[in-house]
Amino acid sequence: MTVKDHSSADDPTLVRVAQRGDMAAFEELVARHRDKIYARAYSMMRNEEEAVDLSQEAWVKGWQRLRQFQGESSFGTWITRIVINLCLDQLRKQKRQRTESIEAMSEESGGVERQMPVVTVNPTAGLERGELRQRIDRALGQLSYEHRTVLVLHEFEEMEYKEIARTMGCSIGTVMSRLFYARRKLAVLLADLKKQDSV
Amino acid sequence: MDYDAQLRLQAFLDGELAEAEASEVTDWLARDREAAALLEELRHTCEALRGIEAGIRLPESREFFWSKVEREIQRLEAPAPKPAPVPLFALLRRCLVPATAVALLIIAGVVLTRPTGPSGLTPAAEIETALADSGAFTYRDYSAGTTLVWLSYPADNEVAEDDETDIVE
Repeated sequence: MTVKDHSSADDPTLVRVAQRGDMAAFEELVARHRDKIYARAYSMMRNEEEAVDLSQEAWVKGWQRLRQFQGESSFGTWITRIVINLCLDQLRKQKRQRTESIEAMSEESGGVERQMPVVTVNPTAGLERGELRQRIDRALGQLSYEHRTVLVLHEFEEMEYKEIARTMGCSIGTVMSRLFYARRKLAVLLADLKKQDSV
Repeated sequence: MDYDAQLRLQAFLDGELAEAEASEVTDWLARDREAAALLEELRHTCEALRGIEAGIRLPESREFFWSKVEREIQRLEAPAPKPAPVPLFALLRRCLVPATAVALLIIAGVVLTRPTGPSGLTPAAEIETALADSGAFTYRDYSAGTTLVWLSYPADNEVAEDDETDIVE
């Protein structure tokens, strides 16, 4: 298979060729999916350097486990799950190393989101895409890793509650609480950012 | 609105409710403005997040990133380095040193456990004093199966007129 063949081949073909040890086919898969894998790692980690390292690690693991890939899902989904698991492991390690903040503890116990007033105006209406991205970026950065991860898995990975629960090792009830808190907190943060900008 | 109702509203938005339950929530939303407002807020947040990852790009060129991935794969797949060939002398030494040590231990064990007499007695013989100041001595010769006991009578601290020697076989 030539380089030209690789660039025109579809993912399942490239996977089959790469499973026979063709590194050039795997390189083409990396080139196609690297931005998505990095974006997922960045959404979860909120740190560029860590996201690059973890996405690189995901590709190395992907190569090592490529023979196990049977095609039950798309290659893109499969490699994304690898990077998500790596990010979760990393976040758990980091969590063990730092002291939990009082706010994070109150978030975990639940209830804070019940007192938040409903944001009646769409805080992102009329924003340019770049500006919206910046605001969401800042707001996501203010969420704890548990809340951000639930949000990322649900909104970006489009996982169902039970799948998120299995991935994160918690109950469906916890997933629902965390997701609700994350969304409400994000709405409030985005509304605050809008107010700050208009002053 | 209680917390369970809020979570039910969210599950409705996410399509996680059964049809019958979803229908109940639809009726409830038509009656409850507060619930409708909360649903709207949740919906806005979901919309804001949609497609937000699409603009994120890996901040490294294709070639550079791939070179890192490839190098790491090759590093992990490289066979473990073969051990250097061992010279003959070193090989002999490796075998002979433990063998010599074992042999020395065996010899030492034999020498130390072998009974020896202090004054030219046969190796399997020994003399012992039964009691302090009793004047009695026992001689045992295991190889001959003989035991001799010397009894001083009267004792050494008394004036002895004649000595008796009992032989026990």
